Amino acid sequence: MTAPVARSVKPARRSILNWLLGAGIVSWAVSVLYPVFRYLRPLSEVGAGGPLKLSADELATLEKSHFVIVRSGTRKVIVFEANGMLHALDAKCTHEGCTVQFVSGDSLLWCACHNGKFDLDGRVISGPPPRPLAKWMATREGTDVVLTMEKA
Amino acid sequence: MIQAQPEAPASTGERLYRWLDARFGLGRLVEFARHKEVPVGGHSMVWYYLGGTTLFFFTVQLVSGVLLLMYYQPGEATSYESIRYITAKVPFGWLIRSVHCWSAHLMILSLVVHMFSTMILKAYRKPRELTWVTGFVLFAIALGFGFSGYLLPWNELSFFATAVGTDSVKSVPLVGQWLLEVMRGGPDVTINTLYRFFALHVVILPLVMVAVVSTHLIFIQVQGMAPAMAYQRPDRPGLKFFPDFLLRDLLLWLVCLIALASLVYLLPYGPGIPGMEWELGKKANPLAPAYPGIKPEWYFLWIYQLLKEFPAHLAGMEGPQAALLVVTVLMGVWAFVPWLDRRAAKGKSSPMFTDLAIAAVIFMAYLTLKAWDIGGHGAPGKLPDPRSTAWTCAWITLGLASAIAVLRILAYRQRWMIFSGAALLQVILNGVLRVDYLIAGAVALLLALAGVALTSRKQAPVETGVPR
Repeated sequence: MTAPVARSVKPARRSILNWLLGAGIVSWAVSVLYPVFRYLRPLSEVGAGGPLKLSADELATLEKSHFVIVRSGTRKVIVFEANGMLHALDAKCTHEGCTVQFVSGDSLLWCACHNGKFDLDGRVISGPPPRPLAKWMATREGTDVVLTMEKA
Repeated sequence: MIQAQPEAPASTGERLYRWLDARFGLGRLVEFARHKEVPVGGHSMVWYYLGGTTLFFFTVQLVSGVLLLMYYQPGEATSYESIRYITAKVPFGWLIRSVHCWSAHLMILSLVVHMFSTMILKAYRKPRELTWVTGFVLFAIALGFGFSGYLLPWNELSFFATAVGTDSVKSVPLVGQWLLEVMRGGPDVTINTLYRFFALHVVILPLVMVAVVSTHLIFIQVQGMAPAMAYQRPDRPGLKFFPDFLLRDLLLWLVCLIALASLVYLLPYGPGIPGMEWELGKKANPLAPAYPGIKPEWYFLWIYQLLKEFPAHLAGMEGPQAALLVVTVLMGVWAFVPWLDRRAAKGKSSPMFTDLAIAAVIFMAYLTLKAWDIGGHGAPGKLPDPRSTAWTCAWITLGLASAIAVLRILAYRQRWMIFSGAALLQVILNGVLRVDYLIAGAVALLLALAGVALTSRKQAPVETGVPR
């Protein structure tokens, strides 16, 4: 008369085996997928470095177009001359990441993608950008222009 | 004595068929094909051909895409140059590229019309819910194709379109930043982004697309095409698929090919409408500012305009995040329509969802027209004026919506127009009365919900067989 005992034990044993099998499959899937996810995310690049000196070509563009966009590490900086003063701001629009330009006639920075407008200090004047453009320090040292990140 | 006539020897084709039939049981397939029918009556047969035309244009995409691959070289110094080489030097290179671009637009157009006709005719109703869902997935994949292919020429337009498009994914909660970097291959759009988009465009998406298209087609073979709602008559014979419908299908594909060839020949770089042109222009320069008048492809224009309409912050979220949330909710509603439409599931007329499709057309048409800056062009060198754009676009949309409403009332005796009325109210409030777009939308949404609550209470017991 062992049948009833076997019946009461079997489902429990089966459910434990099922659980172990399920856990095994899940951990196998995780061990396969984790390296793939890590592989897909690129290594982080070096951020903005120390002071940056504008090249002769960049200075010529600044002279000609009233503004120039330069790269500092992973960031893009727009340097422009307004009211006889040098200004520098992050060139990446805070809305959807397009690159802004300096409109010398209206003394403002404009993003052509969604019509965002910023003043000379990077504050939003109109349009959808949610945050101001980060400020940089642009100083003349003799004939050179040097950019340094402004501490927040 | 009568001698038995010797049997005529079987032709090669017949022998091959018998050989295959003995091994794979082709007879069952032939029997299935012999009985396959397309439902007749209730509505025009035209709507049954649009899935086929979409498939035709997809096939053209595969062939022309493979041909482009023979010369295209992804890379910072080669992407733009190889496309220029294809269009300028390779014999008929301009033709292959133009076919690929035109066919892409026509495929999306055909897909969108197919989707809207399916919606209006309620072909998604039980038991075809999953056919609708696979169709929706195909729509999303097609948009993915358009988006990833856009970057491959590595020109100015493609650079900024990708910068904006990928930037919006950072709004996704929790995984946004991870997704952004995985898509771009770094924090910014660089040549690494192009490599990833290239892999997506020529390997990943085609594989997924073929798999989902096959599933979509298997569902249709198993369940047959959806008959019209009000005229379900099992006794009425349908149109034989083989050969009657297939021959008509092939004839239409031929017409599509002729139309495609004519467009390619007459307008090799597109019609010149923003969002529908593929002049190569300047090479992408990550250090150049975005240029005025930059627009995405025409089927993304409504989202582009919606991003413009949202303020910097809304309800504790940043504007783009809120805009993306709205688009996600709208897409979610669209994907789950077969389960939301309870009346159609029971085979009853469902005017509310017919009207939802019309409302979607009005909603997207107004935003698309605004994105094109229609009526907003002022003095040369000045930016388009958003107010006069809204004014002109509102009147155009009003004209379009009125024509649709008259057609619906007179030709189809449709009366339930609360959603489309609300969509039109938003257009009038925003474009004519100059109320803020989102406030106008909120007013319209509230009125639509109130209308639904009132009419569903009143209409609940009414059951009619009239097509609505």
